[in-house]
Amino acid sequence: MTKKQKRTLFRIILAAVLLAALIVLDKLGVLEPLPWWGKLGCYLIPYLIIGLDILWEAVEHIFHGQVFDENFLMAVATVAAFGIGEYPEAVAVMLLYQVGELFQSCAVDKSRRSISALMDIVPEYANLETPEGLAETDPEEVPVGSVIVVKAGERIPLDGVVLEGESLIDTAALTGESVPRTARPGSELISGCVNGQGTLRVRTTKAYADATVTRILELVENASSRKARTENFITRFAKWYTPLVTVGAVLLAVLPPLCFGQDWGEWIRRACIFLVVSCPCALVISVPLGFFGGIGAASRKGILVKGSNYLEAAARLSALVFDKTGTLTRGEFKVSKVLPAAGSEAELLEMAALGESYSNHPIAASIREAWGKEPEPARIQAVQELGGQGVVAELDGKQLLLGSARLLREHGVSVTPSDEAGTLVYAAWGGEYRGLILIADGLKEGAAEAIRAVKAAGVEKTYMLSGDRREAAEAVGRTLGLDGVKAELLPQDKVSALEELLETRPAGRTLGYVGDGLNDAPVLGRADLGIAMGSLGSDAAIEAADLVIMDDDLRKLPTAIRIARKTLRIVRQNIAFALVVKFAILVLGALGLASMWLAVFGDVGVSVIAILNSMRTLRE
Amino acid sequence: MKKKFKMENLDCANCAAKMEAAIKKIPGVVDANMNFMTQKLTLEAEDARFEAVLAEAQKCCDRVDKGCRIVVE
Repeated sequence: MTKKQKRTLFRIILAAVLLAALIVLDKLGVLEPLPWWGKLGCYLIPYLIIGLDILWEAVEHIFHGQVFDENFLMAVATVAAFGIGEYPEAVAVMLLYQVGELFQSCAVDKSRRSISALMDIVPEYANLETPEGLAETDPEEVPVGSVIVVKAGERIPLDGVVLEGESLIDTAALTGESVPRTARPGSELISGCVNGQGTLRVRTTKAYADATVTRILELVENASSRKARTENFITRFAKWYTPLVTVGAVLLAVLPPLCFGQDWGEWIRRACIFLVVSCPCALVISVPLGFFGGIGAASRKGILVKGSNYLEAAARLSALVFDKTGTLTRGEFKVSKVLPAAGSEAELLEMAALGESYSNHPIAASIREAWGKEPEPARIQAVQELGGQGVVAELDGKQLLLGSARLLREHGVSVTPSDEAGTLVYAAWGGEYRGLILIADGLKEGAAEAIRAVKAAGVEKTYMLSGDRREAAEAVGRTLGLDGVKAELLPQDKVSALEELLETRPAGRTLGYVGDGLNDAPVLGRADLGIAMGSLGSDAAIEAADLVIMDDDLRKLPTAIRIARKTLRIVRQNIAFALVVKFAILVLGALGLASMWLAVFGDVGVSVIAILNSMRTLRE
Repeated sequence: MKKKFKMENLDCANCAAKMEAAIKKIPGVVDANMNFMTQKLTLEAEDARFEAVLAEAQKCCDRVDKGCRIVVE
């Protein structure tokens, strides 16, 4: 508890004891001989102990033009209660209000702390190598390219490359993944992770301001400023609710006595009930808290959500569209068959490896690996890489074509298409068809399980977009049980393919796109919810996506959807609960059936229950 | 210039929203975000007027909740 909270607690206890004593004395008739002002004076003592600050703030706020704030409403309600002779009620309302406020502030503090504990990834210092030896330095002051030493068990302060040493790195704080990663000379290190038993010498590659850990923290902190529709609704609602209820209270106090000659005291009492429940606090606090908790729970699992609005979108997913290579499949290609149409297998492989010697595409790498020799750069010239199509180059002075059947046909080479499943690289040299190389890419571990699980979590349709051949893509689609596959798409076709799918989603539901975030940024941006996979350390992907899964595990997708659904469910429960209770008390109050005690429950009791309910979003 | 400040004694969500709205209206402010959950104020304002804006922002907070303070290191 903070100092302020402790002081409030002390005042609450003091006032409660005094009030209890007074009520007992009153019931025993001890206070009877006192004149009315004497009795009032007695009750004013605990009232002022507990409520003086509220009264004072209320007066101050009126001068600042903040009329409809809680303090003011409480002050008016309790003063009015004194005015109609309900002394114990007046003190009790103020007392309970303070109890509720205290409880509320403790609950908010607690959930805030547990969320910041989740994000406890901030490195405190870096061991900078200087001519005088190691110096503990603020990570912010370490220039890019410096050499730092990360000792056993320390948090990695800055992104960098290992120069010396070997260790296992615990990435759990960032990815939720418990299997440690190996770090050896040449490996890239991600800030925010924890070093294992080895000592590492590291050359930093980024300043602290751009380091992964800084970016992730900023992202999570800023997430709550991108508000969900539900939150905006609450803000708008709060703006109208308080003034309306206050006006209602005034009318209730004035009209029946004036027009129908009713008793003033009774109607003022009813109006006070209106004032007490007129604060929308239960909603204003619990709804953002719920979203914040949901985002916190997701980040503990290595799922970054960039805003409450995206959590809302994830809860309403009706369809998920996957990229194939690197997302559903491992993205590690291996040459599985070499089928020459002319010449030997070795000749075909050599030709292809030379043609692909400048490409950094994973398919090219797999062909070079299968060939296993160093290419002679002199033999290959005028290399042109056509995205999604293949390579055109000159090998030993003759035109070499490597790629899709379409590429070869466009260059006037006739091709016998194959229906093998996998990625096919057709080759033609000097205008003559030379055969094809079959490259297979295995499914990612857990892919089938993840697809089943997202369906169980309520996603109705799953699709796949791929630049790959129809046969290869459809084989993957069949194995995983996807609802639709669109293949042979050039990078620019992916956006329009996605747009077609966007048309088919039911009203009020959303469509998500899952990619690796490296070359599908436009598609990620176009979907209602762009999800990037395996993005630890990739700034571009984190930038482009709305929801980022830090490690490469597809099974995090259903987890993300579950967290989102649960958060939304809790938020809706809170809204419904608070509104129903408040309106019920308003109606009962107007009819004269509610007491002040009930009204106080309708204010702080509802807030506390809603806050406790919101805190459930933190648990998964 | 964009800067982040810690808030002290920011203890009501509704107040945070009111402060944010008031700070946004100060001349020279490009954007302001009062985050109740992280207890932080992100203030983006013209460089030349930054100090003045900050002082004005503190006044906005005083008006809504007197105990609330923007921590300036």
